[in-house]
Amino acid sequence: MAPTVRISAVAYYKLYFHAAKHPHQPVNGVLLGTQDKAGGPIEVQDAVPLLHHWTSLSPMMEIGLDLAGQFAQENGLKIVAYYQAQRNVGDVGLGPVGEKLLGRLREQFKDVVGFVIDGEDFGTDKAALNPWTYSGDQWKAVPPSDKPFSQGSVYQLASPDLPTKALHYVREEGHHQAFGDFDDHLEDVTIGE
Amino acid sequence: MSFADAVTLAWEFLEQLALAAIDLDKLDVADVCLQKLGAKFPGSPRLEVLTGIRMEASEPITTVLEYYNDLLIADPTNAAAWKRRISVLRRARSLDKATEELIQYLDTFYTDPEGWLELADIYVSNRQYTSALQALSHALVLNPQNPFTFVQFAETAYSSGDLPLALKMFLVAIEMMERDLESPETKPPAGLAFRAWWGIKLCARHLLGGASGVSSSPSNTPVPKHLKSVDALATERVLGAYKGKELEERRRLVEHWLSSSK
Repeated sequence: MAPTVRISAVAYYKLYFHAAKHPHQPVNGVLLGTQDKAGGPIEVQDAVPLLHHWTSLSPMMEIGLDLAGQFAQENGLKIVAYYQAQRNVGDVGLGPVGEKLLGRLREQFKDVVGFVIDGEDFGTDKAALNPWTYSGDQWKAVPPSDKPFSQGSVYQLASPDLPTKALHYVREEGHHQAFGDFDDHLEDVTIGE
Repeated sequence: MSFADAVTLAWEFLEQLALAAIDLDKLDVADVCLQKLGAKFPGSPRLEVLTGIRMEASEPITTVLEYYNDLLIADPTNAAAWKRRISVLRRARSLDKATEELIQYLDTFYTDPEGWLELADIYVSNRQYTSALQALSHALVLNPQNPFTFVQFAETAYSSGDLPLALKMFLVAIEMMERDLESPETKPPAGLAFRAWWGIKLCARHLLGGASGVSSSPSNTPVPKHLKSVDALATERVLGAYKGKELEERRRLVEHWLSSSK
């Protein structure tokens, strides 16, 4: 039985802004959180957006992951999940690169989850995140019949109106524009965290 | 500006407007533009491709592919239509077909760096790094003055596990971008150069770490003789960008990473 995963507003908004800022490109990043014991519930508290450019290439990913891991450790957190959006709207697969990354993350955190942003649902009141978990030697998508992020699912947002609020922040207030990921930081050191 | 120039600009603007409208899913605006352009330039190949792009926004993929096929049968030298077809195939996730066609396209239209970069991107998304490097080397031949392509090559080489090659290419890119730098202390690296210095530091760190097999190079690239100096210089350059009070927190994180070894 997969552990429950609850995503805080801060983490969800960051992931959302990251995807919203680069609608034509693939993006990826990691989610930081806590888990009291192996197999126990995971509280996702923060997100570290990484790349929107050359997302299949590893050097900057490696540096970004290292720095994210460091930051996590200093703040009593762990890298508990990975998120990505593929370049094609209809593509909700993990892809060879996503799988490889998750494999690496799993070495440090057994219950790591992959979230693929669903381009069709993004911008509606749905969470638009498709979870992938490791079972029986493979990464598998959680079946849609499990209805992730709905009532009673193992996957929860801190509150069900987060997608609507996030959309508002993007549409009405343009928050996503002021936002930077690791790729942005590499271009301009003053950007990002 | 002459009246004739202004008129040309106006038509080009309509084309840009059509593309922007399609991007934003305002298809009715795009259709008006296409109508006006069609009246002015009937039978124009450029307009035919624009019409194809408009179709991509709302028609099923089979219809769009058929449309581009027809264009290419009528005019096999219509490079733009060919590229559109390849990008539709990629979007439809017929990666094998897209790759096959792209290779054929590049056989005919070799001097299209964008095509080689697209091919490299398809390979890399499938972790076929050797093929990606081959495609990128063609892009390099066509764009030997572009540091961007060198950095892309370096990052691809790194992803394929050939660290000495990656290091060499990062260094070539830096040499291109910073060769005229008079006072490095006052000019910390920015933009692409910053990214390249990070790459150099990453490679140097692994190579100095001496893990088994780390300096093996399928391309037989040797490890530079003065690796330790390169490593020290890279450390200095990367750190040099984090100056000032506001960047203190980040500098500390970065410093910690730079000083740990793997």
